[in-house]
Amino acid sequence: MRRSLKEKTAPYVLLSPYLFMLIVFFGYAFIRCFYFSFTEYDLFSPPRWVGFKNYLNLVKDFQFGLALKNSLQFAVIVTSLQTILALLLAVILNQKIKGIRFFRAVYYMPSITSSAVVTLIFMWLFQKKGLINYLLTLAKTGYRIIAVFFGLFVLCQAFLVIGEKIKKRPVSLFEPSFLFLSVVVSFMATFILVKTGIVTMAEGIPPVETVWLNTKKMWPQNNRIFGISYPLGSIMLLNTWTTAPTFMLLYLAGLQDIPKELYEAAAVDGATKFKTFWYVVRPQLSNITFLVVTMGLISTLQMFDQVAIIGDQAPLDSVITLAYYVYINAFPSSVSPKIGMASAAAVFLGFLTLLIVLIQKKVVREGEGVEL
Amino acid sequence: MKKSFFAVCFGLLLMVAMFSTVSAANVQVRISGWGGSDQPIIEEMLRLYVTPAMAKEGITVLYEPIADDFQRYIVNALSANTAPDLFYMDIFWAQSLIQAGQVEPLDNYIAKSKILKKEDFIPSLLDAFSYQGKVYGIPKDFNTLALFYNKDLFDLAGVAYPDENDTWDTLAKKLEAVSKLDGVYGLALQPEFARMGAFTYAAGFKTFDQNGKSNLFHPGFKAAFEWYTGLAKTRAGVMPADLGQSWGGGAFGTEEVAACIEGAWVIGHLKDQAPNLNYGTTFLPKDPSTGKRGNLIFCVAWGMNKDSKNKQAAFKVLEQLTSPEVQQWILERGLALPSRVALADNPYFKQNNREAQANYIVFRGASEGNVVPFSFGEYGGRWMDPINEALRAVMSGEMSVEEGLREAQYRLDQEMQR
Repeated sequence: MRRSLKEKTAPYVLLSPYLFMLIVFFGYAFIRCFYFSFTEYDLFSPPRWVGFKNYLNLVKDFQFGLALKNSLQFAVIVTSLQTILALLLAVILNQKIKGIRFFRAVYYMPSITSSAVVTLIFMWLFQKKGLINYLLTLAKTGYRIIAVFFGLFVLCQAFLVIGEKIKKRPVSLFEPSFLFLSVVVSFMATFILVKTGIVTMAEGIPPVETVWLNTKKMWPQNNRIFGISYPLGSIMLLNTWTTAPTFMLLYLAGLQDIPKELYEAAAVDGATKFKTFWYVVRPQLSNITFLVVTMGLISTLQMFDQVAIIGDQAPLDSVITLAYYVYINAFPSSVSPKIGMASAAAVFLGFLTLLIVLIQKKVVREGEGVEL
Repeated sequence: MKKSFFAVCFGLLLMVAMFSTVSAANVQVRISGWGGSDQPIIEEMLRLYVTPAMAKEGITVLYEPIADDFQRYIVNALSANTAPDLFYMDIFWAQSLIQAGQVEPLDNYIAKSKILKKEDFIPSLLDAFSYQGKVYGIPKDFNTLALFYNKDLFDLAGVAYPDENDTWDTLAKKLEAVSKLDGVYGLALQPEFARMGAFTYAAGFKTFDQNGKSNLFHPGFKAAFEWYTGLAKTRAGVMPADLGQSWGGGAFGTEEVAACIEGAWVIGHLKDQAPNLNYGTTFLPKDPSTGKRGNLIFCVAWGMNKDSKNKQAAFKVLEQLTSPEVQQWILERGLALPSRVALADNPYFKQNNREAQANYIVFRGASEGNVVPFSFGEYGGRWMDPINEALRAVMSGEMSVEEGLREAQYRLDQEMQR
């Protein structure tokens, strides 16, 4: 009897430090925030009850609309991109090649680098005279050379593959040894063509000076509802690059959990690599996909640091997210804090996150038949 | 063995007791300002002047520099009741703290003081920190804008230096000529009212008209806006962000631009980052139609925490922090300009070096033409945001002047209705 009571209480005792943290720092904070969202409060004088006024003001605020749009775009695009990229990386790094541990470490690097540092580096890359524009200029002036190289490469590969096919030998279109040979041959041929002056660089091409950050331009242009602003697009790339490796690790763990027998059975049935992936690997990973997408959505909806660090380098309207909106209302420049507005926006963000995750859960559950 | 153990314990207790009586007699005053280049100078100033003077009174001064975002720090600290006894107040946001009742009015202290008198300070600066007839802050220093130019680049291009007779048009011509040099732009054009605003005031713009509204289609505002953004169309001007710099002084220090519009704060930056840069300083150019200059005053004061437990001691420290000797010393360090009237004729200004000359131009900027404090009442920084946004959009060619002003006016009207 005593023993079973002990057994019953043990989990709660073990959980208590966490529960305490949860209640104090999340539960209590959330209730306070919820209360403040119905008041006008400047941190100094006592809060004044104003009912739904803050929420109405949110709806009327132009900047809030922009923040909502940016946050949703950011969440949907980055979550999709990073999930796909993470899965791809994991599949590639799950092979048995010499030195694979090294590559795993290399691909994981972006995840452990401080996001402040990475954002700073990205700001340099995306400057008007930065590396991205330089590479684009290079590609534009050297387009003939690039075209010749790829043309030769395709020809060479086709020649080799067709040669083998004529000899009735089974060969894939992307036979690795042929790919290597084609690259070497076409590279040398292009090099000779350039040296002899038959293929030249284009002349009189002005340097690319696309402004990536300090602009409100959208892609596609003039589409105010679905258009993605250039600076936000840049942050999306940056964020995908830094978060994909973390999720790659989860996928890698999942991949290593798949029993070998399944692969063997698929091989016996004569499944191609793609079919094995689609019908064997993908369903086995659906639990992890759910986790990755959920965590991705939550973190992308709350993205804040990269907008804060980019600061004046990009116009606020084109990068503002909901989390940043909360921040600038809590600490507006040179006027008293508007804690009521900030709390209302924070509560909205909380419920929006919950709603999106619930929808996602329903979709994944129905689509994949996962039991959660 | 046991005996010696007790002896050691007793000795320790005695020492603790001694130290605690010493600290009980000593009052501690905490002061706080921003870090960066300010910090070493304030530390030295405290060591040389304030700490010795206060030691006689039994007051220790504890200095707490804040590295980043001072305004947010002080708002948080005041609301959490952990704020220092004395702290910096920028003219830009002082009013919000004063209105929130967080700053101690100083009139009663000043009335009793032998060292600190109202008439010793430049009246416009003291006014900027007065609210409903009471003084809430003692201005410690101030800044205005001046035109800094790179002498070597102008020489190289064979162009005459900018001078005080320049109008907007003649300056634009000089900038355009110097920008013919390879890899050099004319002026660093921050898309900010904190720079462009000076020109709108030169052209007769008022921040708020009689009805309390701001009219961005005022002919003066429009003219200044057109001129300023127009420079960006040629290489006569460039936004620092396009060069990967966050401010004009940064681009000036790396010689990517031939000139910039900044205050005396740029002097310290140049000393650190570009010690060999051969620069000169002159007044902002005049509006060709009004023939006047405009300028903005940036000012910082010491304010006292309303909830401070050592107000009398804090005021004694405040007297020292703004004393004539300290201001003289601060002036000579080239960080900022003194707020005391008496220091205007200081021999320091007459020295023949670029730092002293730059300081002199910045100092005189406060009395040349239409000079307006850099603050926007109850609207704060949000008043400028639509204008800054329009400046950026027009300069990067995303909008015409007309479109930019229309959008800015619309957003500003919305903001003022909130």
